[in-house]
Amino acid sequence: MPTRGSSFTVAVWAILRKEWRTEWRTRHGLNASLLFALTTLTAVSFAVGRLGDRTDLMGGLLWIVLLFGSLASLSHAFVREVEGRTLTFLRLVATPAAIGFGKLLFNLAFVLLLELVTVPMFLVLMGGPPPDWPPFLGLLALGGLALASTSTLVGAIVSQTRGRAALFAGVSLPLLLPVMAATVSGTRAQWQHGSIRSEVELLAGFTAAVLGASVLLYDHLWND
Amino acid sequence: MIAKVLLFLWIAAALAAGFLWAPLVPGLGATTRVLYFHIPAAWITVVALGWSMVHSVLYLRSRRLEHDDHAAAAAELGLLFCVVATVSGAMWAKAVWHSYWNWDPRETSIFFLLLIYAAYLALRSSIENDERRARLSAVYSAIAFVTVPFLIFVVPRIYFSLHPDTIINPSGKIEMDPRIRLGFFAMLIGFTGLFAWILRLKVRLVRIERRTAERATA
Repeated sequence: MPTRGSSFTVAVWAILRKEWRTEWRTRHGLNASLLFALTTLTAVSFAVGRLGDRTDLMGGLLWIVLLFGSLASLSHAFVREVEGRTLTFLRLVATPAAIGFGKLLFNLAFVLLLELVTVPMFLVLMGGPPPDWPPFLGLLALGGLALASTSTLVGAIVSQTRGRAALFAGVSLPLLLPVMAATVSGTRAQWQHGSIRSEVELLAGFTAAVLGASVLLYDHLWND
Repeated sequence: MIAKVLLFLWIAAALAAGFLWAPLVPGLGATTRVLYFHIPAAWITVVALGWSMVHSVLYLRSRRLEHDDHAAAAAELGLLFCVVATVSGAMWAKAVWHSYWNWDPRETSIFFLLLIYAAYLALRSSIENDERRARLSAVYSAIAFVTVPFLIFVVPRIYFSLHPDTIINPSGKIEMDPRIRLGFFAMLIGFTGLFAWILRLKVRLVRIERRTAERATA
């Protein structure tokens, strides 16, 4: 088990800062994701045109764009260590749980940044009435957290396999389908001024379960 | 051998009881009989995936490859029974709802489940080293099983579904004709026996394969 308390927090914080620094040096994960999200958005927007009066469709399209964009790079956090042969060194200085949570926070920040750029562009390109901001932003935050926590764990798994990039999307998408179902139906509901309570409960429960399992599972990710 | 013959006779008798002796539910007509296949298959799906998860966790604790054999075999069988439940459900839906597939919450969640465990098998096939495959797929299996309660119990209860009440329904009662209930539980036991038997075969097969591979490299 990881050591609790201050040393754990310090390690998680150090790993988060290290992730940002290495990402910022090349920005190739961020660039790839943003480009992927924008091209998906272009394809979607081009294919369906402006959807001002079809708020029932916009939630689904928005989350497809966000999901595609994030999946392009979220495995990156662990794959980078494997490809740069730095994982062994990292594991010497931090516990598996600290590494996992540091990278989870990085992926969360990554998803939120992606949402920050993509969502306004989506709203502008698609037209339509403005969303009901508090539930809309809440769904983006909770959905982002569910996305980041699931894909961090899957990223850690697939970084140790062959054919990582293709496998990452193939393996994390099925796990993320319940998340998608909840975020899409919640986003649709807020546009139609309905209640998003059950969706929020589902997302929060899912995220709590995945995070709880992660605490136990990170210790088993590496053996050698 | 005797166990196999008994299992065969048991399932045959349960089927005969279900088709010839038990009455039909008013309104459902002949489609009532899907419950002798569909519900046991769905039940075995959950049992198999649970079995797989338990052995995954046991593997992570003990690091003995025997547990991984069980986890892999049970996941494959779970997927197979999940397909049976999905297809029998779709056929029933065609008869009663006039459409094979309509993304009813239960249809949605069982389809997600199929994909999640198909991904488990895809993950297994992409790792060559036995120990690493066992460890990583055990981690995935544990996280996948965390999502199962959401799919099976939460999603269909949050969203409106046309699906008939499940056996574990909100009121906690089994509303069935006594004769249907007898046939149904007999099929449930029969399916569980069938699962246990195929699982044993599958585990033995995996072990033989591994030993052959070890001998080939030695």
